[in-house]
Amino acid sequence: MAYLLEIIQSTDPEVKNRSIDQFCTEATVEEILSEAATLDEFRRSSPNLYLRVRSLFFLYAIHRFYIPGKENVSSEGLIPYEAYEHLLKRRFEEAIDLFLKVQEKHGANEGISSGLADAFHQLAFQTLADQVRMSVKSTPGNQWMFRTGHPDDHPLSIRKELLRKETNGLYPLLHESTPVRMDITHCGWSDIFFLGMDFPEGAQVLNISVNLTINDGKLAQIPVPPIETFFRIIDEPVLRLTSVDLETIRSITRLDEVFDFAKDYLGLLKAGIIASGLIPSGMEGSGIPLSVLLENMVGRGKGIELVTQVNNIPKGSRLAVSTNLLASIISLCMRATGQTDKLTGMLLEEERRLVAARAILGEWLGGSGGGWQDSGGVWPGIKLIKGVAANEGDPEFGISKGRLLPFHTLLNENSVSADTRKKIQDCLVIVHGGMAQDVGLILEMVTEKYLLRSEKEWEARKTAIRYFDEVVEKLQAGKIDEIGKFTQQNFEGPIQTIIPWASNLYTETIIQSVQKEFGNHFLGFWMMGGMSGGGMGFIFDPEYKIKGQEFLRVVMSETKKKLRHAVAFAMEPVVYDFQINENGTYAIMDQNDEALLPSGYYTLTTPEMLKKEMNTLTSCQRVELEIIGKLYQKKPQFENFISKLFERMIPQTGNEEVFGQSLDVVLKDLGFDKELHRQIKNDLKLGRIGLAQNRLPVNNKIEDVLPDEIFHQTFLTDPGYFAAGLEALKNGELAIVTLAGGVGSRWTNGAGVVKSLNPYSKLSGRHRNFIETHLAKSRKIGQLCGRSYPHIFTTSHLTHQAIESYLNNEKNYGYEGAIFLSPGKVIGQRLVPMERDLRFLWEEMPQQLLDEQAQKMQVNLRNALINWAKEMGEGEDYRDNLASQCIHPVGHWFEVPNMILNGTLKNLLDQQPQLKHLLIHNIDTLGANADPLLFGFHILNGAGLTSEVISRKLDDRGGGLAKIQGRLRLIEGLALPDEKIEFNLSYYNTGSTWVDIDQLLKTFDLSRIDLNNPEKVKQSILNISKRMPTYITIKDVKKRWGKGQEDIFPVTQFEKLWGDMTALPELNCSFVHVDRMRGQQLKEVSQLDGWLRDGSASYIESICDWGGR
Amino acid sequence: MKIKKAVITAAGPAQRELPIQSLIDRDGIKKTVLELLIEESIQAGMEEIGVVVFPGDEKNYANAIGKYASQVQFIPQEKPMGYGHSLLTAADFVSDHPFLHLVGDHLYVNRTKKRCARHLVEIAEKEECAVSAVQPTRESFITNFGVIGGGRIPGSLDLYKIDRVIEKPTPTQAEQKLMVPGLRAGHYLCFFGMHVLTPAIFQLLDKEFRKNEGKILGLSDALNELAGKEKYLALEKNELRFDMGARYGLFKAQLALAMSGKDRDRLMGELLEFFTMKELTTKEN
Repeated sequence: MAYLLEIIQSTDPEVKNRSIDQFCTEATVEEILSEAATLDEFRRSSPNLYLRVRSLFFLYAIHRFYIPGKENVSSEGLIPYEAYEHLLKRRFEEAIDLFLKVQEKHGANEGISSGLADAFHQLAFQTLADQVRMSVKSTPGNQWMFRTGHPDDHPLSIRKELLRKETNGLYPLLHESTPVRMDITHCGWSDIFFLGMDFPEGAQVLNISVNLTINDGKLAQIPVPPIETFFRIIDEPVLRLTSVDLETIRSITRLDEVFDFAKDYLGLLKAGIIASGLIPSGMEGSGIPLSVLLENMVGRGKGIELVTQVNNIPKGSRLAVSTNLLASIISLCMRATGQTDKLTGMLLEEERRLVAARAILGEWLGGSGGGWQDSGGVWPGIKLIKGVAANEGDPEFGISKGRLLPFHTLLNENSVSADTRKKIQDCLVIVHGGMAQDVGLILEMVTEKYLLRSEKEWEARKTAIRYFDEVVEKLQAGKIDEIGKFTQQNFEGPIQTIIPWASNLYTETIIQSVQKEFGNHFLGFWMMGGMSGGGMGFIFDPEYKIKGQEFLRVVMSETKKKLRHAVAFAMEPVVYDFQINENGTYAIMDQNDEALLPSGYYTLTTPEMLKKEMNTLTSCQRVELEIIGKLYQKKPQFENFISKLFERMIPQTGNEEVFGQSLDVVLKDLGFDKELHRQIKNDLKLGRIGLAQNRLPVNNKIEDVLPDEIFHQTFLTDPGYFAAGLEALKNGELAIVTLAGGVGSRWTNGAGVVKSLNPYSKLSGRHRNFIETHLAKSRKIGQLCGRSYPHIFTTSHLTHQAIESYLNNEKNYGYEGAIFLSPGKVIGQRLVPMERDLRFLWEEMPQQLLDEQAQKMQVNLRNALINWAKEMGEGEDYRDNLASQCIHPVGHWFEVPNMILNGTLKNLLDQQPQLKHLLIHNIDTLGANADPLLFGFHILNGAGLTSEVISRKLDDRGGGLAKIQGRLRLIEGLALPDEKIEFNLSYYNTGSTWVDIDQLLKTFDLSRIDLNNPEKVKQSILNISKRMPTYITIKDVKKRWGKGQEDIFPVTQFEKLWGDMTALPELNCSFVHVDRMRGQQLKEVSQLDGWLRDGSASYIESICDWGGR
Repeated sequence: MKIKKAVITAAGPAQRELPIQSLIDRDGIKKTVLELLIEESIQAGMEEIGVVVFPGDEKNYANAIGKYASQVQFIPQEKPMGYGHSLLTAADFVSDHPFLHLVGDHLYVNRTKKRCARHLVEIAEKEECAVSAVQPTRESFITNFGVIGGGRIPGSLDLYKIDRVIEKPTPTQAEQKLMVPGLRAGHYLCFFGMHVLTPAIFQLLDKEFRKNEGKILGLSDALNELAGKEKYLALEKNELRFDMGARYGLFKAQLALAMSGKDRDRLMGELLEFFTMKELTTKEN
């Protein structure tokens, strides 16, 4: 039997848990391809989910990590556009077939392997997602909801108790309080659905339900269940949904609006309503008026109101707030519709399990998702949650080893004594570090690594399982002080071995500070949830807990301040007080004058009501206003109600004005060119410029460049090149220019941090940012040539200050040579996008189709964003955000002329007149260095610009090297008349260019002497600038609000790009094909794990010298 | 096991008028609902019939049963304490015998020659156990009925062993606890309002009544307990059953009787004429 297939099919743990590494590292490409063919054939016919998925991950790993770089595997090879289109449309099987056909015809190459890796990877996750969805749908108790398509078939009705008006004229209020959960063990993310379904014996957590309150160092408050949800009947035929904490209220009258999750901030409430069966899934798209359904359920003229409130827990707390909020809504609606035994009190075990299953369904509907322990707040107190083997009768039987839902064992006071419970509360400090993170990526990585059984990670998982047993044992023995030791070891060992990205510079800085301050009284760190930086736990000696809370409050705030330009924070860090909640989710029924909603609800709704004539209010609204008028002074929850009401009713200085004022100041300070902006705005509105207009006319002849038309690093074997390069370096003829003006929108989804300062990875034992890495490479080459050369970082208004202060604080990272900052001189102001550009981007450009529900969400969201653009005014200035988020750098073309304009080049030449060349590269091209071989080639070849290109892989999108009207030049993806053309271009632009300074100046019609003449410099640059195309682009920008909430808006900006210089006929341009390791760029955080695993990170380490740091 | 007694519960305060409503039966003869139910019982071989009534209704009801007065005994339920209690009121009448039980607000129209109650009694006598008539019902209606969970008796097409009974379940509960293999998706076996019960039911009802003193007593909990104590079967019947307390229930029952009786053709003609005239009038307007 084939070796890899044997691993997959074996039931012997020795064989089954073997890693793919060993075989693939040693095998030839022919052997690997033969194994891959067997695996592919097997996975197509196997009915077993687990075997299918593991085969798919093996195939992914083969093409992602093992085929590239093997002997006889070409680095060059075109990717068929048709296959790419299949991938976009999620037709993975078709894409795979096509890729394999090309592979069979032309042999293995890196381009095709990149396509196959992507297709297998996506298909694997799709297969898993489909299985989870199927299991959730087929869970008994959920199935009927998918069959019920008409209100007349709706089998649920509202419980009688809720339909009877009280004597005061109001309906009673069903009020559910739900704790959040924390995971005390962190057993290697073992609650990921697939892991639990495949490895139930290793899927286990110890999970505690807790009440919380924020400890701000002022008046101590008793922790309460952080989630509250309310249900009542109203005398209006609408479904009224309110989120008090998100300050959103909406009266829904159409059924399709209930299924529109992205329209407003109420997506979670809607998902809860649907998953509870109140409005069953089967009704989506039925086109029936909501009033018909409401009339059947609650009677003519009546409606339902659902209100939620999350008390002071910000988003990203790692305490599973959203899942427990969803569970709370589901439980509440199930109670109201008679799907629970009792209307109030605690739930029965079987009801909790159903709520948990439905919360998974709700998460899928709402496009989010966590693990199976997240709904832990539904259960009371402390519980062990473990995976369960699937038995006959389970929907998973015969498909996977384990069931979708785990088994919960409550640990009562016989198992964990009251004294131990108290100790937990006395020792543990819970905080939210304030970082904004996407855990989804981490969960995908965990699944992948589990299936590949890479040796290191598999050993780490086994260690985590041992730690779990230790933690449970210590807990039952009441030895809380020893638990800290294991949670810390777990974080430092298994967790980071499996996922290095679970830790970060911010977390480690805080842990070190706490260790330094408290010594042995700090008992250990405890990572909560998917990754650190958000919700975290610190265990102290009980007598040091309060001091620990105070210290953490200060140290987190200071560290955040220090790192704020480098790391994305969503909010100010907070410290919590907590208590174990021994009820789980719990409901009471408030009646008569007690049947009042939280005061925040009335702050939201009262202004609107007061604007109306009394006789237009419903009877319930009138009664409610009267009761509040009578009681607001007596009820503690209405403290400050009147002042908050006034704040809301009387127009305050709006955000826009505050943002606007500071924006005007910033624009003035930066010398913003109003005239240019007005012209761009006008052209955009009139349709002269736009996404569609970026493209070159279709009659341009765009062809691929043949291998013999360019140079190849591999073939530069003449030792003269290296010698010439080394000699020039020794003579001080080179300076490095790193383009660091951008904020890296893709790196942080528009969070606005400075990408060049982001501590992206640990290299040689420490977190390093991009700037430090570039300097470390320059140091190494400097040692080779015995001389340090100058390093220039071009900056912009968005990055200058931060980079300058980092370099000062870090003493230039010990770099021995001169460092220059070249500040940007041009900025743009972002504009609200035009509808036609958004539609062009989303409807006419190739788009990745998402998983069914996620796609639905995306379509809804995009409609909402188009409406937003219309409401804000298409083509108008974007001002509704922080000033720094309203302005933009104008593309890297300007960064080079800026060096001339702002005098940096002049200073450089004054200090080092022998300087003749520059190596310009992007901040994220980590492999770019002053390689003497390539430098020597550039010198001897005599070109003005020598641009480095790499062979294209699937992810290398955005133009490339082309022959246009017979001339070789770099072309931007934005300018290609048809996206298919890109797939015919073999080479991708790395963004790295060697520049002959004098030839460049000549192109600008300048000489070295002219650099003393600012007027001439300005005019010359303007002349070339006019010849450079202006591209309109749409970028994402984050707007933060509330407690850790973020919205992402598309905004329009313009840019000019350096690659277009190669189109100038007077400039002698040359192109060299370099190794991928040298030319690849890190554009997205999601690339990091593959970058670490495929040897790229080791390569970077090998070309760096950290100077002992 | 021989079954000779029947109990008809007709004491519901809101439905006191229903049993004395008149209908035209298949043979074109005017009869009250109660008369039709008594006929159903007698044709099933019952010799004595107890009718549980609201106190004071005895006289009206006696007038409504015509020739069957000698076989019927009225049993007043002193307080309206629920369906289960109304049955419990008949405990002395039934004594220590199995009995047929029909509800007074339902009417059954057969599709086959064998009457429904007859069939039920035959099965109970043969199997020597309690048997309830059930009907597969779509999940959207199950919140109106008692629903059973169980499995088909091997070799039988219409007989089930009852494991569990839940009164008016939500589909959520039904899916978790009341799925019966072999039924169409989203269908459950709901009570038909016709049972043969053993006297054990009275002990269970009595126990329940004492435990929850003063509270309304249903029947389903006791039936659920019965299923745990002794052999208890369900007979699937696809006869037409009409809840006359429901909106248009009486009208539908009458229509069904007429459409399966001797006046069918005449009535069809008249109805057609009625619909045509209505259609024409609507168009003219």
